Amino acid sequence: MTLSVNPAERRLQVSGVLIILGLLVEALCLAWRGPLAFLVFLGVGGLLLFAGIILFLISLVYHPGPES
Amino acid sequence: MTLPVSFLLLLILFSVALIAVLFVRPGVTVTRGGKIMAFLVLFFLPILCATMGISSELERSKSTAFCLSCHIMEPYGKSLRIDDPSYLAAAHYQNHRVPAEEACYTCHTNYTMFGTAKAKLRGLRHVYVYYFTTPPPPEKIKLYEPYNNRECLHCHEGARSFEQGAVHNSDPGLLPAVKANKKSCISSGCHEVVHNVGTLANVKLWNGGS
Repeated sequence: MTLSVNPAERRLQVSGVLIILGLLVEALCLAWRGPLAFLVFLGVGGLLLFAGIILFLISLVYHPGPES
Repeated sequence: MTLPVSFLLLLILFSVALIAVLFVRPGVTVTRGGKIMAFLVLFFLPILCATMGISSELERSKSTAFCLSCHIMEPYGKSLRIDDPSYLAAAHYQNHRVPAEEACYTCHTNYTMFGTAKAKLRGLRHVYVYYFTTPPPPEKIKLYEPYNNRECLHCHEGARSFEQGAVHNSDPGLLPAVKANKKSCISSGCHEVVHNVGTLANVKLWNGGS
């Protein structure tokens, strides 16, 4: 499974990977009952989700127009 | 596992599956439907999952089990099972004067607008102290500030046993002083035996709740 050669699609794919990782961290933290779970959820999962969502929004803003 | 957590885990799995489809076929986003799907799975669903996750974790952090999961808090958990009604915390816990599932949180959260937020920020400090410094022994742990009667009055004010109690009315100035937080409920001679974790070796424990 490779990344697309199209820059816009590649950004979407990277964004998707970041969000999947963030969601998996969140799922692990929900199953893990330790007191550090919330911190890991916010610190690692939240950061990955945030990065993925921002990258997705950037890909919308910088979507190449039909002339390019 | 409670229903919302199970539901949230299912929602996370569903989101991951949809994102995986988008990863394998990013070309679907050229269509209007694909764009809407991308927005839903890369923006709306992750935010929904994160919001529900934070809410779930915050709710879980109120539980007695969560507070007692730190090794240093074990004696405080044990003090809730002391078989002696003069121990204030034990009497409240065992008689369900506070919700047994949220016993620590119920008494140790300020009943003010930002009480919960303050409790969570202090919780972060506790994590720092626990993992990155040498925490004090359990019997040396102190409250940040003297225990405010407001937390007791949140439940007891207006209750007949409190307002008309013989000891509370033995001195006409006592109840007004307690209500004004000028005389502490846990001051000497009143309800001063609270957790007293230093004396746990000499007390009998109640096992009825287990």
